[in-house]
Amino acid sequence: MATVTFSDTTRFYAGVERPAVDGLDLEVADGEFLVLVGPSGCGKSTTLRMLAGLEGVDDGSIHIGDRDVTELPPKDRDIAMVFQNYALYPHMSVGENIGFHLKLAKLPKAERERKVREAAAVLDLTEYLDRKPAKLSGGQRQRVAMGRAIVREPSVFLMDEPLSNLDAKLRVQTRTQIASLQRRLGITTLYVTHDQVEAMTMGDRVAVLKDGILQQCDTPVGLFARPVNVFVAGFIGSPAMNLLKTTVDIDGAVAGGTRLPLTPAQRSALTGPGIVVGVRPEGWTIGDGGYEAVVEVVEELGSDQYLYCRDGDRVLTVRTPGMAPWQRGEPISLAPKPGTVHLFDAATGDRLPDA
Amino acid sequence: MSVTDDVEAPARPPAKPVRKPPRKPRPAPGSKRLSPLRVLGSAIVWLFTAGNILVLYWLLTASFKTPVEIFTKPFALPYQWFNVGKPFRNFIYAWNNAGFGDAVLTTVVLVGLATVVTVAVSAPCAYALTRLGVRGSGPMTNAVAIGMGVPFQTVIIPLFVVLSKIHLDNEYGLFLLYVALSIPFTVFLMTGFFRSLPDELEEAAALDGASPTRTFFSVMLPLTRGGMITALTLNAIGLWNETLLAIVFLKDQAHFTLSRALFTFYGAASYQSEYGGLIAGVAIVVLPMLVLYLVLARRIITGLTLGAGK
Amino acid sequence: MATVTTPTTPSARVVKAGAHLRRKKRLFWPFAAPALVLYLAFLVLPTIATVVLSFTSWAGAGDTPKPNGVTNYTQMVASDSFQYAFGNTLIYVFLGGIGTFALAFLFTMVLRDMKGGKTVRAILFFPNIVAPVALGMFLGFVFKYQPGKQGLANYVMEGLGADAAKFLAPSNVTGVVTASLIWASSGFYITILMAAVDRIPPYLYEDAELGGASPWQKFRNITLPMTWDVVGVAGVLWTINALKIFELVFVLAGPGTYAPPNEAWTLGIYVFDRTFGSNGTPDFGAACACAVAMIALVSVLVVLLRRLMRRDAIQF
Repeated sequence: MATVTFSDTTRFYAGVERPAVDGLDLEVADGEFLVLVGPSGCGKSTTLRMLAGLEGVDDGSIHIGDRDVTELPPKDRDIAMVFQNYALYPHMSVGENIGFHLKLAKLPKAERERKVREAAAVLDLTEYLDRKPAKLSGGQRQRVAMGRAIVREPSVFLMDEPLSNLDAKLRVQTRTQIASLQRRLGITTLYVTHDQVEAMTMGDRVAVLKDGILQQCDTPVGLFARPVNVFVAGFIGSPAMNLLKTTVDIDGAVAGGTRLPLTPAQRSALTGPGIVVGVRPEGWTIGDGGYEAVVEVVEELGSDQYLYCRDGDRVLTVRTPGMAPWQRGEPISLAPKPGTVHLFDAATGDRLPDA
Repeated sequence: MSVTDDVEAPARPPAKPVRKPPRKPRPAPGSKRLSPLRVLGSAIVWLFTAGNILVLYWLLTASFKTPVEIFTKPFALPYQWFNVGKPFRNFIYAWNNAGFGDAVLTTVVLVGLATVVTVAVSAPCAYALTRLGVRGSGPMTNAVAIGMGVPFQTVIIPLFVVLSKIHLDNEYGLFLLYVALSIPFTVFLMTGFFRSLPDELEEAAALDGASPTRTFFSVMLPLTRGGMITALTLNAIGLWNETLLAIVFLKDQAHFTLSRALFTFYGAASYQSEYGGLIAGVAIVVLPMLVLYLVLARRIITGLTLGAGK
Repeated sequence: MATVTTPTTPSARVVKAGAHLRRKKRLFWPFAAPALVLYLAFLVLPTIATVVLSFTSWAGAGDTPKPNGVTNYTQMVASDSFQYAFGNTLIYVFLGGIGTFALAFLFTMVLRDMKGGKTVRAILFFPNIVAPVALGMFLGFVFKYQPGKQGLANYVMEGLGADAAKFLAPSNVTGVVTASLIWASSGFYITILMAAVDRIPPYLYEDAELGGASPWQKFRNITLPMTWDVVGVAGVLWTINALKIFELVFVLAGPGTYAPPNEAWTLGIYVFDRTFGSNGTPDFGAACACAVAMIALVSVLVVLLRRLMRRDAIQF
C-alpha cells in the first residue's frame, strides 16, 4: 500500500513572495502512474523534490501510505528518484552505480550483486555492468538511472524529466518502455515533465500545474475532453486549442458566424459579458462561411496537415487530413462545429458548466 | 500560438486567503541532522575562523599600543598612545626607523614594473605555445611549467656570483630576477587562458584578412584581459612579499624593498623591545595587501584556483 | 583550420589556409623567445651551474672553484645542521601536509552546504597574501615567552590556567612552525579544493542524500573521487611550497639578523646560511650541494606523489 497524499502542501523560496507550490491537494493511488505537467516554474519539480525530502515543506503535509513523511529525511521515505541528468557517478561502473544505494544501506555484498544483476537483466544492461557512464550512449545512461531506482524496490518512484536529454526518436521509444515497466512493477510513480505529449501518453492521470497552483488532475481523456479552464485548454493538446474571445448577448454567443446558445446554467455561471470559445484544430467546418482567413503556413506531416490561417489579427490553427491540397495564400473559411466547442468565462478563465 | 483576441489565461485565483511567506523557508528534512562529524566539523570551522579574525584584530589594535599594553592587555582597545595624543606614534616610529618611506617607493616601482614586464613577455610566449600549432609546443610548455617547482635557493648562488660580477647586485638586477623567475608561473597561467579561447575567433579574424600579429594584438589579447589582470595581481602579491632575493641582492638601505626593510628593522627593533613599532611595521607591509585583497578577493582566488585546478 | 573545400576552387582555398598557417608559425620565435631566453638564462643555466658547482670546493667570492668530487655531499650528510635541516624539511612537507589537507578536507565537508561559506573561505585565505616575513614576525609576537610580558598564545594559556610554554625554544620550534604553516596555508588549499567541489553537480549529493549517505560517505564516495585530480595538483603545490620554506622559519625561530639555532633549520636556511648568512664562513660548494639536494627532493617527492595518486584514482 503506497498511496501518496499531498494535503495543503506549500513551499516558499527565500526572498520570493509567491509560493513555489501553493496549497497542493493531491492524492495518488497505489500503483498509479501520475504525471505532473506544466510550464517551467510551475512548481512541478518542487512538488517532486518535497516528496523526495530534498526540499522542506513550509505548510501542510505529505503522506506516503499512512505515514506522515513531512519531516522524515529522504532515506526513510522508501522512495527512489530518477534525476533529469541521471546523476550517475562518473567514477563508478554501471554496476557500482546501480548498487550504490544498496551499498549505503549496508546490504551484504552477495545480495547486492544479485540484485544489481537482476535489475541489469531487466534493463538490458548486463553486458555493460563494468563500463563507466562516460562510455555509454544517452539511452543506456538513462537505463542505468532507471536501474538504480528499481534495484531499491521502493514503494514510490519519482522521475524528474527523465527523457529530456534524449533525442526525439529515442524519447518516444523510452516513453513506452518506462510506462510498461511501471505497469509491470506496479509501483506508484510520480513523473514530472514539461512536455504535454509525454504526459498524455504515459500517465494514468495527469496533474496540470501553473504558478504553483494545481489547475486540474484528471485522466488524459478527461483533460482533453473537459479542460477546467483556459490555461489547461491551451496547454493540453497539440497543436493547441484556438481560444476566441467574444461577448454574450441575449441569444448566446457568436463565434465565426456560428451561433452558440447558452444554457441557463452556463449563463448564470458567467461573471461578465465576456466569453472564450475554445475550438480544437480539428473542430472546424471548412468552406462553409465563418471566419474568412488566408492560409499563411502549411505544415505537412503526412498523416495530418496543420494550417495556420490569418484573419486580421488572429491566427487560427486548423487540422486537416494529410496530403490535402492546401497552399499558402489560399483563402479559407472556418466555422466552429457547434457540438465540439469549449466555453470559458473570459474574466475568470473557468470552464462554464456543460449543461 | 493560437491564443487569439488577447485572451488572458488567468490561473484559478487561490480560494484561500493569500499565504504569508515565512521569514525563512524550511530546510529539507534531515539536512539539520546532528551527526557527530557535522557538529565537530562545524565547531572546528567556526573556531578556526574566529581565531583568524581575533588574530587580525590583535594585529590591528597592537599596532596602536605600547609594549606594556600589547602584552598585558592583548584584547583591550589601544589606550595609552591615544591618551597622550599621539595615536600614530608606532607607525611614525616604524616609518622613520625602518626607512619605509624610500622602501614604499622602491617597492611600488620595482613590483609595478616587474609585473608589467613579466606579463608583457609571458603573454606572447603563452600564445605562441598554445595557438600557433608549432611542433614541440606541448613539451616546451611542460618544461616551462616545471620551472615553478624549482626553489629559488637552487639558482641563487650562480646568479648572485654572476650578477655581482657585472655589478647588478642591486635593484636593477633584482628587477631582472623578478621578471625571469615569475615567467614559469605566468606563462603557465596564461596558456590556460589562451587554450580556453575558441578557434573560431582566430579563423574569423584570418578570413577578415587580419595578419597573425594583428590577430594576436587586436583579438586574442583583449579576450584574455581577465587572465592578464589575474596574472598581474598574483605576481604583484608574490613580488610584494618576496624577501629572500631582496635580502641577497639589495645591500643599499636606500633601495630596500618593504619586506627587506621590515626584515632589517626586525633585527634592530627587537633589541630595543620596540614591539609597538615592530607590529606597526608589520601592519604597514600587510595593510596594502589587505586593501588589495578586499578589493580583488574574488579575482585573486579564482586566478589561483584556475592556475592550480587546470 | 578553415579548409572547407568548396566545389569551385578547392585547391586554392587549401593553399591559402596553408599559407596562413605558415605565416602564423613564423610568429613563434619572436613571440616565445624573450620569455624562453630569460627562462633559460635565469633558471635552467643556473640550475646546471649549481649542480656542477656542488662537486667543487669553493668558499665563495675571492676563491676559485676546485673540483673535489662528492666531498661536499659526504660532509653535508654527516653534518648535524644538514640532518636537522633535512629532517625538519621532511616534517614540514609531510606532517604539515597531512595536517593541512586533513583540515582542508574537513572544511570541504562542512563548508559545502554551509551559509556564509564564501566569507569563511575569504577570511581563511587571507594569511596567504601576507609576506612570510611579516607572518613570521607576527607569529613571533604571538608565541613570545617572557614572564609578565607574554605573547598572545601564552596570555590565553595563562588565562585558561595552564602554564606558559616556551614555544620558540629550539626543541619546540619545529612543532610551532608546523602548526603555523598549517594555519597559514590551509586557506589556500581549502580554496582550491572548494573550487573543485563547487564544480561537482549538486544532484550527485542529492542522490546520495536519498540513499541516506552520511557526511563521511558523501565525502568518501563523491567529493574525494570527483576532486582527485585537483587534490593531486594541490599536493604537488604543497610539496613545492613546503620544501622551500625559509623566511617564516628564519624570522620565527631566530633573532632575525642571523640564522636560527641548528635544531630549527630547513634546507632553505642551510643554503642561505652557507652563502649569505652573517654567521660563520661562507661555503658556496656545500650550499650548492644542499641546493641540489633540495631540487632532487622536490623531484622525487613530486614523482612519487603523482604515481601514488594515479594508482588510487583508478582503484575506485
